[in-house]
Amino acid sequence: MSAPPNAVPAARPDGRRLRSERTRVLIMEAYIDLLRELPEIPTAAKIAARAGISTRLVFERFTDLAALSLATVDHAFATAEAQAAPRGVDGDRMTRIRSHVETRAQICERWLPLWRVVMINQARLSQLRDRLMAMRQVVLARIRLMYAPELATMSEAERRDALIILEALIDFESWGRMREHHGLGFEEACAVWVSAIDRLLPVAPAASR
Amino acid sequence: MSAPSDTRSARIDGRRLRSERTKQLIIEAFLALVRDNPSTPMPTAARIAERAGYSVRSIFERFPDLKKLRAAAADYQLAQAAALAPPRNVDGDRQARIRSQVETRAGTCERGISLWRVLLYSADQDEELRPRIRLARERTMQRLEMMYRPELSALPERERQHLLIALEAITDIESWARMRELHGLSFEEACGVWIRAVDRLLPATPEMP
Repeated sequence: MSAPPNAVPAARPDGRRLRSERTRVLIMEAYIDLLRELPEIPTAAKIAARAGISTRLVFERFTDLAALSLATVDHAFATAEAQAAPRGVDGDRMTRIRSHVETRAQICERWLPLWRVVMINQARLSQLRDRLMAMRQVVLARIRLMYAPELATMSEAERRDALIILEALIDFESWGRMREHHGLGFEEACAVWVSAIDRLLPVAPAASR
Repeated sequence: MSAPSDTRSARIDGRRLRSERTKQLIIEAFLALVRDNPSTPMPTAARIAERAGYSVRSIFERFPDLKKLRAAAADYQLAQAAALAPPRNVDGDRQARIRSQVETRAGTCERGISLWRVLLYSADQDEELRPRIRLARERTMQRLEMMYRPELSALPERERQHLLIALEAITDIESWARMRELHGLSFEEACGVWIRAVDRLLPATPEMP
């Protein structure tokens, strides 16, 4: 029995597209892997070697290293967002603080090397600055979500101050310093953030907690 | 009539002074270029020479390579930061100490942000920079410890350490830069944000006996 005349041609481009997408992801993950070992933009040859493909294939999927860097940042951002779904949003104050801190700490632990590369290269690549701004907005939105009861008790100016300070406290480099410079373990570093956030936030009315 | 050896020694002293002055001007040219062009963390020798008003050769007569010049610039900035930011109001009341520490730190951040970014982002490729970064951080921690001794002394060791880390995080140089560059706060407004946050973070000041 023969297949309908359109079946094979339609399936082939889909399979090709899937393989092509897989290769793209493979290249981006090789890039991220290399960054974790050395926080500088790896060469195309190194990325290809790590991904187990040819350098030519890297440039078939990405026009240049800048395009690859941007795509990798977008890929990492999407992955991080998927891994960091908000939990305990309706919990009591300490549940929300702990949940927020643990989620943020995991993101920092996993993505600090890539963050550093983005920070270093933002002045050279304007699109990276846009990504940084977008990431910051996500961090701020999460703070607003997790601490809505406490922030609701503040004036607009106080809320702005609180957001600025909380963002600074849970910055990637703040995490990096605790882990690399102060030598804190994951749990202890989380404890620093938890107790600081608890001190910084006002007490919300009992009904809203 | 002066002896010939006196004349020779005066000549040598004069030469040494001129050489030191040239070195100083080269370092200042490097710092100015880093400040003006944050996307170029390592200006070329030609640009530094042009800015300083000397020849490229005179740079390499005083510094074996540009990395040594960058390290010398870091030393110069560290010395300047220490000279321009002596501790004030160490024995003042809580508000006087907070205001003094914040304003001093803000001044250091305002002057040092460009070079700090260069140091931070080049440290992976230049091991000479790492001890300088460590020294800058240790000085910040020591200053926090000195300024908030009464409040910190009331805490157990672990809590004291955690609080110092949190204070360092919120008064980090990038936290300052975000307030100024991203949130558009004035120097005074940004100081106000830090003052209120430090006040919230610190425990109550123990009563004087």
